[in-house]
Order: sequence, then C-alpha cells, then structure tokens
Amino acid sequence: MLRRLPFFSKFSRLALPILFIRIGLAQTYALAFTAQEMATMRAYESVAPSVVNISTHQCKPGYYFCAVPSMKGAGSGVVLRRDGLIITNYHVVYGARDIEVTLPDGRRLEARVVASDPDYDLAVIKVHAGSGPLKAIRLGDSDALKIGQRVLALGNPFGLGETLTAGVVSMTRRSLKDKGKVLKDLIQTDAAINPGNSGGALVDLQGRLVGICTAILSPTGASVRIGFATPVNRIKEVAPGLMNPWPRTAGLVVFILLAFLVLRFVFDKRFRAVRSGKALH
Amino acid sequence: MRHMRIPSLMLVLLCLTWAPSGASALTDEEMNNIELYSRLDPGVVKITSRIIEHDLLMKAFPAEGTGSGSIIDSRGYILTNKHVIGTDKLRVTLANGKKFEGKLVGSDPGSDLAVVKIEVPDEELTVIPMGDSANLKVGQKALSIGDPFGLGKSLSVGVISSVGRTMKAANGFLVENVIQTDASINPGNSGGPLIDSSGKMIGITTAIFSPTGASVGIGFAIPVNLARKVAAELIQKGYYSYTWLGATLINLFPEFAQTLKLPVTSGALVVETVHGGPAEKAGLKSGSGEGRIGKGVVMTGGDVIVSVNGVQVSDVDGALREIHRLRPGDSVRLGIVRSDGTSKIVAVTLGERPRQITTGQQ
Repeated sequence: MLRRLPFFSKFSRLALPILFIRIGLAQTYALAFTAQEMATMRAYESVAPSVVNISTHQCKPGYYFCAVPSMKGAGSGVVLRRDGLIITNYHVVYGARDIEVTLPDGRRLEARVVASDPDYDLAVIKVHAGSGPLKAIRLGDSDALKIGQRVLALGNPFGLGETLTAGVVSMTRRSLKDKGKVLKDLIQTDAAINPGNSGGALVDLQGRLVGICTAILSPTGASVRIGFATPVNRIKEVAPGLMNPWPRTAGLVVFILLAFLVLRFVFDKRFRAVRSGKALH
Repeated sequence: MRHMRIPSLMLVLLCLTWAPSGASALTDEEMNNIELYSRLDPGVVKITSRIIEHDLLMKAFPAEGTGSGSIIDSRGYILTNKHVIGTDKLRVTLANGKKFEGKLVGSDPGSDLAVVKIEVPDEELTVIPMGDSANLKVGQKALSIGDPFGLGKSLSVGVISSVGRTMKAANGFLVENVIQTDASINPGNSGGPLIDSSGKMIGITTAIFSPTGASVGIGFAIPVNLARKVAAELIQKGYYSYTWLGATLINLFPEFAQTLKLPVTSGALVVETVHGGPAEKAGLKSGSGEGRIGKGVVMTGGDVIVSVNGVQVSDVDGALREIHRLRPGDSVRLGIVRSDGTSKIVAVTLGERPRQITTGQQ
C-alpha cells in the first residue's frame, strides 16, 4: 500500500533526520541563550564601540586661579559622528578645565566643547579622531517608545568603566524640576543609572539611541531604579546642524536662491515696464 | 518493511505538528526564569553564623550574620564566601527549612571563598552545576538566588554588565575576571550563586559597589572558573595553595629607571629575596645598594623582571598575574634585566607560599 505512494516513503526516510535536527535545535536553544538575551547581547555589541568615558578636571567654582586641578569628574558620552563629535550632558563638562575622552579601544583623547544647551542639559564635544575614526551610534525615535519596552543603559558609573545595565521604560514625558530648571519630556527607566552614567546612552534592543542618561531621583545619591534620560528626539532638534549640517545648509541655499530669483523676476518686470514707458503712455 | 514505515509516517506527522506551544500567558523569558528558580532554589542554602559585634559602648555582643551558599557536591559540600563565615558555629538552612550544623572545611582569603560541609543524605541535596565563566558575554542574563537582608529566599534577575574587571580581596590579592551584574545583590546575598540562563553557576556573588550599603545595580561575582579550582583544593587540603616566587617586587617607574641608569623604563624590580626561596635558588639578584628616590630609600641593584613566560610585563601586578596563573611546582621563565644592563632568561621553579599561622579565623 505504501509502496504505491513514493512520496510518503521518501518523506518518511527524511523524517528521522528531521526529527533529530529538531530535537537538536530545541536542545541548543535550551542550553544557550533566550531570545531576549540574544537581543541584549547583540544590541550591546553594536552600541559598545560608540559609548565613551569622559573624565574631567574641574576648578572649584569661586576660585579664580586653578593651580591644582581639584575636582575630578567622571561621565559618559555617545559618539554622534565618525569624525569625533560626541554628545554628553552639560553638567558633565560644565566648568571643566580639561576634558579627556577614553574610547572603548583604550585611546585617550583631549576634547573641547563645541556647543551646549544648559536648558536641556546637553553638550556636544569634539575629539580629534585622527587616523582611527569612531563608530557613530544609530539614532532611534524616542516618540515611539512604549512603556514597558526593554531598554539598555551604557555608561561609566562611579568611574568604574564601561557597564551595561538593563531595564524597562517606566514612563515617558516626565518633567523634573532641578535647581530652578525644568527638564521636560524625560524618559524614566528602571535600568540602574548611577553618577557617572550621565551622558551615557539609553538604547533600545535594536541598538538605536533613544535617550541620553541625565538624572536620577534618589534619596541616597545612587540608583534606586528611578533614572531619567533626555529623549533622542530632543537631541535631533538641538544639534541638527552639528550632526548633519547638509539639509539645513542646503535648505538655506535653496531658499536664498529662490528668493533671489523671485525678487529678480519681480523687479525685472517692473523695471522693464518702467523703461519701456508704454504702460505710462 | 511495512512495520517500519508506519511509525516513521507518524514521525513525519509529529514533526509537522510539533510547534512550540505559544499559548501560554508567560513570555519565554519568564518561563525560563521560573524554570531556573524552581530547579535551582533547593540548591541554595542560607548560612547563619554568629559574629561578634560591638555596640556604642564597645561592649561585645553576639549578632547573627546571614549569607547564602550553593551546594556544589552531593556529599554535602557548600560553597560560600569567606566573609559570610563568622567566628562561631555555622547553621545551614536548606530550602525545605531543615537546619543543619555546618563544619568549615577550609577558606581562602585571597578569593574570599570558603567551603562548608553538612552531613545530609544525598537525596536531600540538589547540586548546582558549575558552568564556564570564560566565555561570558556582556548582555547575557544573570540570575542571583540568595537571602538578602535575611528576608528569605529571593530571586533577582539582571544582565552581565561587564566582564574582566579586577577586584582586590581583603588581603590585597587581586581577583581577576570578576563578573559585574545589575541583578540586585544586597547584604545576605553573599556566597550565593550567579546563574546563567541554562542553569549553570557562573559566579559567586561576593561584593557590591554602593555608597549606601544596598544595591545600586552594581554587584560583583567571583568567576566560577576560579571558584572551581579553589573549592577543589579546599575540599582536598583545607586550604588553597598560592604560587610563590619568594621575592619582594616594586614597580619600576621611568624616573626611577633613569636615576638607576637602567636600560628599561618599566617592569618589576626585585628589592628583596627570601632566603632559601624559589627566586634566590634560581639566582635572581636582590637589591644590594641603597637608592634615594625623593624621600624614600629603596634597595637598588636588583634584577628587573620584564617578561614572564614570554609575556611582557610592565609592573608588579602584571608579573604576579602571570605567575599566579601557574601552580606551585611549575617552572617559569622570567625575562630579567640586570643592573649592569644585560638581559637574561632565568628559569624559576615556583614554590608554595608558606601559610601564615592563623590564630583563630578572622
């Protein structure tokens, strides 16, 4: 009976190997990693080269001369552009005398502040990348974040060195009052964020930047799992010219050209009318 | 033939219909956590020991300290942290609530590990299998089972935050490849296992970094590859033997080298060798003259160790790191630079560090 059905017989010969493969697959999954772990590890690997450690020497405010570099600060930063443009928190580089950036590959570079936005606690610094360009981070969309979504924080807590912590988005669009300033539209997360994480990356599981770790709410000064990040969309607003100068410049050039052409057209018409004298009669 | 084929046809159908049952309300991640906890929780014990504390008037009073431990052997051996073990009796509480008297088998201050034994029939014991800490990836899951603040058995889940950090143990020894995790680790978790998603022990939760004394998401675990070696020796001998060079080394700084007119600018300078120790036997030269560096006086004229088994070393930690990879009795080739500028390779047979006589455990 079965002999008349060659399809089945062929297929049944394949069945055992298929079964073994399936069992094998199931076992490798069980022994290796869960899907979430895989995603986390992959995201970390893609983002880690773009997160830098920042150490600063600060003069104590109030001293006119700073003979001894007194206060040492630690923070983090995220590479926005290959040539060495790095975004961090304004409070990380505020009042800093020397800013030293340590890249994930161990290189130490001097940095200078290019632009800063104290209102949103953001600053852009620049290092001279030289021969080895940096790896820029991919930007995500912070408006698309969902509460409960898994996010990863990369930074340099307490100056310990590169550290990954994971959590979920606890809330979006939080406002915080800090020393008379109001930080708006923040992302709240329960990933452990500590002093030194400031300026570090908050990324989604696809490895796209969704925020810059900025503040924590804590009675102790260290993480109680209430951390805040400035949304990446705000960064896109603040530093478009720095991140990608082309569209804005192009827009300006086109606008000027158009304006020039329109004006010339209008004036030409009037002058021609005046010169010809026909209209006046 | 027919008999053979009908079952295989069924196998085909089985293969085709065999899909993972996704109807459950829990995600895979949750299922994994639940499965691991229910499987491994019986292997984690609570260790209570009496420690002597002092009150405000410096009057001694006994207090109870709690920690965690993992059962690593069906004979009743429990791996925990040395700092969990107090001065007095140990009480081990299994997950089923049964309490046993624990006996300290041995402890190693260099890695902050200790092994405790309880006399329990092996059917009551769940052994936590040891995994491999060499190939851990940042981002993979780490679960910690323990007894934080003596609250009772707790599970906390996090990721591995970094690997390869170096930690200094209480006696100044360096523990390498320490695992950092953001799983909540609090006082009382000490000695408990850090577990990966396949249910293998990858570390022993030992320390936290915290300005507050409680978890701020930065916890450290001793890697299981070290713990495995230490535990095996503790069970066998009652102590962990360290390799011993028998020499006092100091870091060589560039300014220092310039003053001494050495051809190298970094390395480990031998200032003293122990009489009859391995270094002296192998002919390593210690300092004979006195050199003045700033306000300090250093014995100078000794050899500078610049490589260990062909690996370049730039300081004392680097040299010791390489030496501590070996075991007592192993031979090591030290690349040295003599004070007269000549380079040489010296073979040293490493000894076993003499054990200090411990007056009581501390």
